[in-house]
Amino acid sequence: MRRRILTTTALLAGSALLLSACAPSAASGDGAEEGDQVTLKVWSWRTEDVEAYNTIFDVFEEQHPNITVEFEAFQNTEYNQILTTGLAGSDGPDVPMVRAYGQLQPNIEAGQLEPIDGKVDGLDEIAPSVIAGAKGKADGKTYAVPLATQTLQMFYNKAIFDEHGLEVPNTWDEFIEVNEKLLAAGVTPMALGAKDDWILPIFADIIGSARYGGSEFEEKVLAGETDFTDPDYVASLELVTQVQKYLTPDVVGVSYTDSQIQFTSGQAAQFPGGSFEIATFRNQAPDLEFGSYQVPLPDGAVLDAPVSPAYADGNFAVNTKSTHQDEAFELLNWLATPEFGQLVADELNQFSAIPGVEYEDEVMKEAWANYEDGQAPYLLLVDFRYGEPLGTAVLGAEVQKMFLGQTDAAAAAASLQAGISQWFTPGE
Amino acid sequence: MSAITTPRVRRGTVRTGITLSRRAGMVFVLPALALFSIFIAYPLLTALSYSFFDWTGIVRGGFVGVENYVTLFTRLPYRDDLPNAFVHNLLLFVGAMVFQNTIGLGLATLLHRIGRFKRFFQTMYTLPYLVSPLVIGYLWSLMLSPLFGPVNAVLRGIGLGELAQPWLGNPQTAIWVVVVVTAWQWIGFPVLLYGAALGGIPQEIDEAASIDGASAWQRFRAITLPMLLPAIGTVSVLTFIGAMEAFPIPYALGGSQGNPAGATDVMSLLFYRTAFESGSSNAIGTSSAIATLLFLFIFGISMLITWFMRRTERKLF
Repeated sequence: MRRRILTTTALLAGSALLLSACAPSAASGDGAEEGDQVTLKVWSWRTEDVEAYNTIFDVFEEQHPNITVEFEAFQNTEYNQILTTGLAGSDGPDVPMVRAYGQLQPNIEAGQLEPIDGKVDGLDEIAPSVIAGAKGKADGKTYAVPLATQTLQMFYNKAIFDEHGLEVPNTWDEFIEVNEKLLAAGVTPMALGAKDDWILPIFADIIGSARYGGSEFEEKVLAGETDFTDPDYVASLELVTQVQKYLTPDVVGVSYTDSQIQFTSGQAAQFPGGSFEIATFRNQAPDLEFGSYQVPLPDGAVLDAPVSPAYADGNFAVNTKSTHQDEAFELLNWLATPEFGQLVADELNQFSAIPGVEYEDEVMKEAWANYEDGQAPYLLLVDFRYGEPLGTAVLGAEVQKMFLGQTDAAAAAASLQAGISQWFTPGE
Repeated sequence: MSAITTPRVRRGTVRTGITLSRRAGMVFVLPALALFSIFIAYPLLTALSYSFFDWTGIVRGGFVGVENYVTLFTRLPYRDDLPNAFVHNLLLFVGAMVFQNTIGLGLATLLHRIGRFKRFFQTMYTLPYLVSPLVIGYLWSLMLSPLFGPVNAVLRGIGLGELAQPWLGNPQTAIWVVVVVTAWQWIGFPVLLYGAALGGIPQEIDEAASIDGASAWQRFRAITLPMLLPAIGTVSVLTFIGAMEAFPIPYALGGSQGNPAGATDVMSLLFYRTAFESGSSNAIGTSSAIATLLFLFIFGISMLITWFMRRTERKLF
């Protein structure tokens, strides 16, 4: 018995040796440069983009013949756990896709990611609110290269607007008029899935960011010069109640997916949402003609031009335990180039975080041009997801209560302030 | 009549005819004990120990005693979410008990009486129980959708338009939807259990009482119900555990946040949010504390129900 085990082990060991001996010689046969062939493992939660990423990394592999990129995608909802386990163990990814802002901090605090300042070129070209999504809150170091930017705006159905003789509104009065006309014509003016709380802070920012002052307010609130009980912030939340009549009755019973169907099937004329909807709308309704605009300035707005709130979505980092640090940084440097940015736009239909990218898609082009004209941070996600309770979660539930008539704007703002002040100290 | 000698058996021991030394006995117990230790005792104790530490991601920090537990009762969002979710779990339990011990028991009694189609109806009532609760929850969320759902459409169609409402959007109705859907799915379970228990009650007792002039209700009160007590006890404990651990149906109906505005939140959702969605660096510490509290509560109350049922049974017989 023992003898047989020994023989088997010997055979296995022998074949393993043979195989490993074969690998490099096969690679060099392809005309690779001198030195070892290195395989970098890249992990992501974008299971829907595997093919696109393989195309993208083919471009990289052509330029870097000694590196092979192995792209693996995992279920989005389970990714955080899989990544945490992978980074803790020895066979994790070399270059993992990581979350942004507050959700990135546990990996940084656990020392699982390499700081990249000074090792990756082009980081200073990236918008500050976007690169902030890749920084450690405690030490201020940059740990990743941002992948995409999501912009928030109002989408509208062009056919419905034409049918009712409506134009994209330029003033708040025009905005109200558009909604009134649609309401009178029996079309739901805006589709919103208020049953899913996460969409509501997005809605509040699309409607009210310019009212409370976008980045100006961000600076003040971070410095402690004001807080969320500020009259301007409360007024921005009041706008949410003010436009409630343009949403489906019983809006709190409507789920996010229902609201997407409302818009793509032409039952609703407008959809307040993120740029991530563009690809979904294209898939669900290829014939749908739609565009987007920034909600015009309401009375008393702090800003003097409308804005698109935005945030960074996804980053690429380097695993501290990776045994191929040099190659991993080579890849990361490439991920920070406009070449990769353009591939993100063309292959993934996303807004790249890297400036200087051209968008083919008309809707994307329009939304990006709007964003470049007036930028703002999606405040609660960008700055207030670093502790518990998350700013977005508190406001989501509070807006639901506002829609249900259980609370008002002032009380909702006070709850938001109470929640975040539990972990947030201004000026830190 | 010849004398029959009954072997004296010491109280508490069962004579099997096999004599084992204590050591040999241990050897036979060992495999089961090993499996139990590795897969049940060890994870339980680890979760317990995790709850006493401060965590940074998956890196364990210093020992913090009961601080994670204090957090649950003093800090937002736990301070508000925990009692809210807990009350909903209790509602689920009470709702399920009411449904199972009235409709469930009633159906089981009726099915016991009819001979024909008994199997057919038993199968029908048990069917929802065989479908994944996530699927059930999703189907009901579609049926109750205020935009496309057939429930409101039917209500309007038959002239009961005032009753049509955003069932899952209104906090007053949403939790009851969860309660009713859960009870609806589980109704086959008491039907089966009570059916089996009813079959085990000797017909003679019932006939004798009937000859003595006892009415149907008297016979149910004095004979059937007491003899069903062990089954009721089992159903109660299992329902309690099920209600306290409820996750898939609330998740499918209200999402992980217990929408709208926390109206369908339950303990397992709170645990899920804390452990997997909060992004907090101390997620492991806090969520382990929730898990430990939940386990202790379920364990304690289950023991209590069992003890209470045993005592009542002893009094009866």
